[in-house]
Amino acid sequence: MFRAVFRLSASGARSVVRSRPCYSAPVASRCYSHGKVESDEEFDARWVTYFSKPDIDAWELRKGMNTLIGYDLVPEAKILDSALRACRRLNDLASAIRILEAVKDKAGPHKDIYPYLIQELTPTLTELGISTPEELGIDKL
Amino acid sequence: MSLPKPVMRGLLGRRLRFHLPVAFTLALTAAIAFKYTVTEPRKQAYADFYKQYDAVKEFNAMREAGVFQSARPTGE
Repeated sequence: MFRAVFRLSASGARSVVRSRPCYSAPVASRCYSHGKVESDEEFDARWVTYFSKPDIDAWELRKGMNTLIGYDLVPEAKILDSALRACRRLNDLASAIRILEAVKDKAGPHKDIYPYLIQELTPTLTELGISTPEELGIDKL
Repeated sequence: MSLPKPVMRGLLGRRLRFHLPVAFTLALTAAIAFKYTVTEPRKQAYADFYKQYDAVKEFNAMREAGVFQSARPTGE
């Protein structure tokens, strides 16, 4: 979580520049004064590995996705690819499509992120036979 | 027609970094504006009223109007 912002007091909220070196990688980094800050690549690799576990179970998939969605970022295509393959191993098409919906929601007002991710994931989606919410018509209310 | 990679990290942080100072500033401004357009004039109005207030005169006026039970108008 982006804890750096919420740790600032009400009156001193203006000088955000005060925050630590974690300023450059505000991802899942806890703002320790000691301790190494994880790089973006390390973060991505860690999550790809998490979902690549061959015998991942349904709980771990849900837990992983929920934790991932809690971060201040939209997951990289390679993390999503790994998660979708985990869904395939678990025979869980519903979760696969839900992951796509969640990622679209995570992008919020930034409308350029979801089309980019679909572009990157299209080979995986066709290989695994996953339809997008748009193809199914469930993206409209 | 290949889409370029957009920024995908720290989007909320970036938004908050801009909007939180704005929010605090606006809230502070609203409070200051309220203080000087409402509460200070109100306090001044009360002060001005009571500066020349004659409690005894007001009491006698009320008494003659007959609103009291324990202090009847001077005529009765």
